Amino acid sequence: MKKFLTGLPMALLACAALSAQATEAKLEQVELANDLPTLERGAETVATVCTGCHGLKYIKFRDLLNLGIDKDKVEAWRNGQPLDNTLQAQMPEDAARAAFNGAAPPDLSLMAAAREGGGNYLYSYLTGYHKSEKGELTNSVFPGTQMPDVLAGADAADEKQRADVEAKAKEVSSFLVWAADPHAQERKRMGYYVLVYVAFMTVLLYLWKKRIWREIDKRPKI
Amino acid sequence: MVNRVLSWVDQRFPLTFFIKHELTDYPTPRNLSYWWNFGFLAGFVLVLQLATGIFLAMHYKADSGMAFDSIQHIMRDVNYGWLLRYLHSTGASAFFVVVYVHMARTLYYGSYRAPRELLWWTGQVLLLLLMAISFMGYLLPWGQMSYWGAAVITNLFRATPYIGDQVVIWLRGDYGVGDATLTRFFALHYLFPFIIAGAVVIHLVALHTVRSSNPSGINLADKDNIPFHPYFTIKDMYGMGVYLFIFFLFVFFFPNTFIEPANNVPANPMQTPPHIVPEWYFLPFYAILRSVPDLVGGVVAMGLSVMIFAAMPFMDRSKIPGGANYRPWYRAMFYLFIVDIFVLGYVGSQPVTDNIVLLGRIATFIYFGTFLLLPFVSKIEEKRMRARALPPALQALFDKGVEGGK
Amino acid sequence: MSDSDDVDNPGRRNFLGKITTVAGAGGAAAACWPFVSSMNPSADVLAKATTEVNLADIPPGGEHTVAWQGKPVFIVHRTPEDIKNAEASQGTIDPEPDSKRVKRPEWLVVVGVCTHLGCVPNRNAEGGWLCPCHGSMYDASGRVIRGPAPKNLEVPLYSFESDNKIIIGKA
Repeated sequence: MKKFLTGLPMALLACAALSAQATEAKLEQVELANDLPTLERGAETVATVCTGCHGLKYIKFRDLLNLGIDKDKVEAWRNGQPLDNTLQAQMPEDAARAAFNGAAPPDLSLMAAAREGGGNYLYSYLTGYHKSEKGELTNSVFPGTQMPDVLAGADAADEKQRADVEAKAKEVSSFLVWAADPHAQERKRMGYYVLVYVAFMTVLLYLWKKRIWREIDKRPKI
Repeated sequence: MVNRVLSWVDQRFPLTFFIKHELTDYPTPRNLSYWWNFGFLAGFVLVLQLATGIFLAMHYKADSGMAFDSIQHIMRDVNYGWLLRYLHSTGASAFFVVVYVHMARTLYYGSYRAPRELLWWTGQVLLLLLMAISFMGYLLPWGQMSYWGAAVITNLFRATPYIGDQVVIWLRGDYGVGDATLTRFFALHYLFPFIIAGAVVIHLVALHTVRSSNPSGINLADKDNIPFHPYFTIKDMYGMGVYLFIFFLFVFFFPNTFIEPANNVPANPMQTPPHIVPEWYFLPFYAILRSVPDLVGGVVAMGLSVMIFAAMPFMDRSKIPGGANYRPWYRAMFYLFIVDIFVLGYVGSQPVTDNIVLLGRIATFIYFGTFLLLPFVSKIEEKRMRARALPPALQALFDKGVEGGK
Repeated sequence: MSDSDDVDNPGRRNFLGKITTVAGAGGAAAACWPFVSSMNPSADVLAKATTEVNLADIPPGGEHTVAWQGKPVFIVHRTPEDIKNAEASQGTIDPEPDSKRVKRPEWLVVVGVCTHLGCVPNRNAEGGWLCPCHGSMYDASGRVIRGPAPKNLEVPLYSFESDNKIIIGKA
């Protein structure tokens, strides 16, 4: 009876393992950057190229300044708009919907958080354009996408062009990861101090607990 | 000076008496293990959720057109808003971890048995309140998962006989989940923590009436009880340190573990995401719901799966005191139940396929089976244990005719 | 480090206790700061603490009203004649030289809120302002020349970013 009751959990776990689903398209695991130069280059591409179709409603020009991006660059990108304006798509939404078969280009502020895989997803997507066997343009991450191959990755003729595409994709993805969570660096920095403090306090509390319990712990176990 | 103020108060209000009797001098079994820390931890998480919640509410807008934006405002513009938000979202999951472990401890050590039935049932009420409050809270960010999770779960009330459809509309305040739903969920989400606080007080009153059980399951002699302070105050603090380390690890380094990517997309009533999942702490019950192909049957099964815990004091018919530590069959059933819950949780997280449905049904069968078999298994186990020799400590109790700790 | 030491020497146990309590209290106090700080104006509110104004659009003799911290601010591009008039006197009710009220004489920047009871004055033909609520009058330097307003129009903190741009709210 005991054997049966202990065997059953094992059987259940085995069944669960067997029914595991196949995973979706494999994503490129790329190391995205946090340094200001990369973020600045990514911001440049996003603010000048991507905003042709996409908006970033939660990023203001002022936020780019606060990140540390060069003042003159921000000045050029905003082109007279107030600092507190958000990055808007140049194409109005109706025109965009018409141009892309009903699929309006989505807002990019949270795109890195809205997709499983985050920055890796974005990078794989941007570099995932290629020609199928039939010669049609498709994307390995999102096969039915209406978005054109903006970085021209599918047309990359040689290694160098491909490397350029990948570098651009890395910069854009890095920037979009920042845009989805601008306080990430601050959060992690604070986290180190907090964890060190809590670890220190826990050690102290442990020692104090042991000290207080010393006599009680000597008594025979119940 | 302080003593003079205290004695002035004490003549008019039992302050010192209460603190001494219920906290500092309160007799507690000296052999409590760290599994007994989780009640205190649950109280601490409640306080933290309350504090972060109130400060979040200073910036949150409970309007369907503004809710999502207000959360981004909190995350980006409010000083430490991101911290408040992550503390609150991680705290919700932490609350369930702590409460589930607390429940598991109670089941394992048989702390639900006489005379602690009311203690167990007040805890059951707390669990239901916690489930309600977290369900309502999850709608507030107004993301895709928030919206559709609320849509599916409010739809379950269609199972109500005769007036099902009207009940759903009444609950929502609209034909679909809408602005009215969001506003009332926010109002109730703000109210419930205080109801929970009141229920916690009742839970503690029940506890102090019957006193804590302990790992042996046997009522200890007076000499084996020690004052709560300083022994358990310091032990609770230490336990809290360990808890906070793990908690902050998530808050500061993996805060998005409990935030579904789809919830970073504003709610779209016209489009359901391809893969709706409730938060992890509801997954086993969600799996049970989906295991029954009938709407009413599924809802009944799911409701039963939560409520059946209340029956535990009646299901365990063994007269051998304590829980799993002296009783090998009960222990095996406990472990089977725990594994089964994890399997159910996994099933609940997966899209519906034939294999998953089959696995879910087996796991649901086992879930209810362990409860329903317990009366018989516990009685047979007791017979077998009595036929052989009991551990001496247990035997002594048996001879005295003591049951379940008092 | 024997046991009897601790029983006879509670100071040791107390030291550990004291240091833990002090460190813990410090941490608890520090933990309150994010909550307190979250009630301070958020980044977007602080951003509105300053307003950028492009002066190139305002011709000589022209006047422009902008919003700053929820209030109107009058920006006047004064002609040489306006400047002469403004420098001619110090004002009657709240004397103040014009030079103290401007950074560059051709630009007047004043908060457009009447110092009587808060209405927004209207521009009049004399290059000053007249408040419609109770008839207070202000001259070409924003100084009060007829009551019941007691004080001149407030000159906010502002600075010239360039010849054509000022930032109101920043010194």
